[in-house]
Amino acid sequence: MRPMIRRPQGVARSVVLLLGALAVLRGLLAAGWELPTLLTTHGDTLLVVVACVALGELARIRMPSGRETAPLSSAAALSAVFLGPVFGEPRFDVQAGLVVLVVAAGLLLAAGYRALRHRPAGAPVLAARVVGVAVAALVTRDWGAPTLWQTQVDPTVPRAAVALGMVLVATVGLLTEIVLVAAVRAERQRTPWSAAVRDEVGEAAPLTVAVVVTGPMVALMAPVLGLLSLPLALFPLAMAYTAVRQYIRNRATNRQLIATLSHLTEHGGYTPVHHAERVAQLSLRIGRVLGLSERTLRDLEYAALLHDLGQISLLDPIPDGATVLAAPADQRSIAAEGGRIIRRAEIFEDVADYVEDQTVPYRMVRELGEDVPMASRIIKCANAYDDLTGGSADPALVEAAIERIHLGLGYEYDPDVVDALTRIVEDGAVGRVGEQRAGAR
Amino acid sequence: MKDAARERSPRRIATAVFITVVAMLAVVVGVWSYTEFGIGEPAAVLVFVLFAVLHVILPDAVVEGRVRVSLSGVILLAGQAVVGPAGVAIVGLAVGAPQGRHVPLRNRVYNAAQCSLHGAAGGIAFLLVGGTTDPARLQDVGDIVVHLALPLLVADVAQALTNLVAIVAVLRVAEGVPMRPQALTMLRGTGFAYIAHGVIAFIMVVLWTLGDLGPYAAVIVLVPLIVAQWVYRQRAEELTGQQRALEVLVAALEAKAPRLAGHSARVAELSAHMAEHLGLGPQQVAETRVAGMLHDLGQTSLPTRTARSIDLTDEAAVLDYPARGAEILHDLSFLDGALDPIRRHREALGTDRQLSLPARIVGVADSFDLLTSVGPPDGHLLAPTQARELLARRTPDGEILRALDHALMRSGQSVRR
Repeated sequence: MRPMIRRPQGVARSVVLLLGALAVLRGLLAAGWELPTLLTTHGDTLLVVVACVALGELARIRMPSGRETAPLSSAAALSAVFLGPVFGEPRFDVQAGLVVLVVAAGLLLAAGYRALRHRPAGAPVLAARVVGVAVAALVTRDWGAPTLWQTQVDPTVPRAAVALGMVLVATVGLLTEIVLVAAVRAERQRTPWSAAVRDEVGEAAPLTVAVVVTGPMVALMAPVLGLLSLPLALFPLAMAYTAVRQYIRNRATNRQLIATLSHLTEHGGYTPVHHAERVAQLSLRIGRVLGLSERTLRDLEYAALLHDLGQISLLDPIPDGATVLAAPADQRSIAAEGGRIIRRAEIFEDVADYVEDQTVPYRMVRELGEDVPMASRIIKCANAYDDLTGGSADPALVEAAIERIHLGLGYEYDPDVVDALTRIVEDGAVGRVGEQRAGAR
Repeated sequence: MKDAARERSPRRIATAVFITVVAMLAVVVGVWSYTEFGIGEPAAVLVFVLFAVLHVILPDAVVEGRVRVSLSGVILLAGQAVVGPAGVAIVGLAVGAPQGRHVPLRNRVYNAAQCSLHGAAGGIAFLLVGGTTDPARLQDVGDIVVHLALPLLVADVAQALTNLVAIVAVLRVAEGVPMRPQALTMLRGTGFAYIAHGVIAFIMVVLWTLGDLGPYAAVIVLVPLIVAQWVYRQRAEELTGQQRALEVLVAALEAKAPRLAGHSARVAELSAHMAEHLGLGPQQVAETRVAGMLHDLGQTSLPTRTARSIDLTDEAAVLDYPARGAEILHDLSFLDGALDPIRRHREALGTDRQLSLPARIVGVADSFDLLTSVGPPDGHLLAPTQARELLARRTPDGEILRALDHALMRSGQSVRR
């Protein structure tokens, strides 16, 4: 019998793929007979929409959390949902199912291109987008009397009301996509669902807002500007997109800079090579399993990378840099020195706090109610594990390390953290696989 | 007394006269536009003014000295086709006046006047090349391009140029900043942003008038813009983070060798000033500054006792820490330009003429600061003049030494010690 808490592998993924397939199938059944008309009458419109959806999908970005998103593709797809009168073209009066087929064709094109370049297509993400578009298309073109689509061709309805309706529907469609993607990611990383959805929505929020206004923009400009309105309306979004890209690049540079700081003690022979990187990877995975927020995870990663920085000014290096074996007073002074150095950068206050509190035993939290940040408890545990195993995945060493950490359970280490660590050590996929499968058996 | 003296200085008077002239010009142009072209619907003008005031809450996103996204730019431009030059002149006042915090009144007056002026200039250019303030009557795409898109582009350029002239001129008059380099810097910094504003303003006008959305068009169009602005501000924060992280590297060094406290910062400043004096470009100046800041980083990899006892002032000593420093940093691509000066700065007083200018700069700045502020382990410091003479004997490089003199004067060091 399976344990209740562990979800069976890949259920969310399969469900999302199935939903995507159903949406396409429904489109084929309901509107397949219209396909020839679509190709002949709406040839140009079709071409522009498919191209924008496919190119937007190829311009995916990876957010700092590892989440991939393609705002330009989502926006282009939602534009097709609302499109009605188009200057110089026949009115885009097609069934919801047909819109889904058009979008799916664009995504398929992008996936095909990716496959040719031997890159993963990310099928669940694409399926999620198809489902989101299907929901929006059904609401726009089939739901209510008159439908939202019909009101846009009715000149008596105020344009502002039409625009508002479109923004709302686009929001529903996009949220559907985001929640489905979050479900898949939560399952893959074993992150709690709530945390995945919160991160997904939170991190995506700014771009989401920019995406939901793009569809209405296209639909309302198309009667005047024709098909030109699609690339034109994607322009402001592309600006936001560029800003996000640059932001992500800067984040990566900063991460690299902090990693360089962590190398200082390694170059000086105070700590073993890659120890800080391993502790950071492990801490991040524990943090994900415990559902920490994206912001805290970033600071946790920085703090874990820098947790031994205080050793830099030691007159005599401690053996193998293993603080877990050092006297508690030495551990504390090393942590305090590290915190002091990091505090020189005013904006890393939290990171300095995490580093300083990494030596506080858990019983201080339990008995004295001391406020020790979760990040510090994680670093304490991850550091101990890595010091004890020396970064080796040798089952005997791993077992001994886990056993020793279990001896300090509740006294030295936070039981929740140890529990997460145990799960990670048992299963290399938990908390997202880093470059090495720490202790996977 | 001192204030009064400053008040009467020629530059203050010139600035006051200049501001008065620009303000009067703005009023004249605004009134003339009103009598000549009239004004759009008062309600529309009011909406634009509201968005202009919103601009106070969401100031332009400026990253690394470049304007990335400017709400005000879009508002002033879109206004051309909706409320005409006189309307935009009024909107310009609302854009300019509230700019910045703790800004003296005369600066506010100038900002308001110049925003109003460049707005009106854009509007007049827009109408002159056949733009229409009633786009709703345009029939097809061809009409829209001829009477809306192209005129908006012309107005965009006119606005940008008037703005440029106004800012460069006031900086010249009030602070003596040379006009040409300032103008070039501004052009480089804002070129792309203006094209983007043109496109966004065009979308806003189309939705407002032809799309029949009215003021709601502004809401829809400005959303992505506000998002971009928000993200750019996040990015500026990350860039500060980068600077701060570099400071942590220095802090780690100073924890290792406490007698070097402040040395890195001083060498960084001296190096940057010397690099500027020697005519290096902004990028190279920045790299030289970083190299000056991190030139001793390799010492963190020495045993602590060694790092605390080596005699850095001994030019003959062969030390490997510069190479170690460069090795530690070599993964960081944004520091590529700083690696050579870090690796080779200790060769600056030697005879190698192949050594790059930044390496020589950092080397001389380092030697000077070591002699005057850090000293050998016994703590014997030289006076700046003595150190200067010593360096002159050791290096024949007159150019670098003159740059050092200049940099010292600029940071007030020669006076202080």
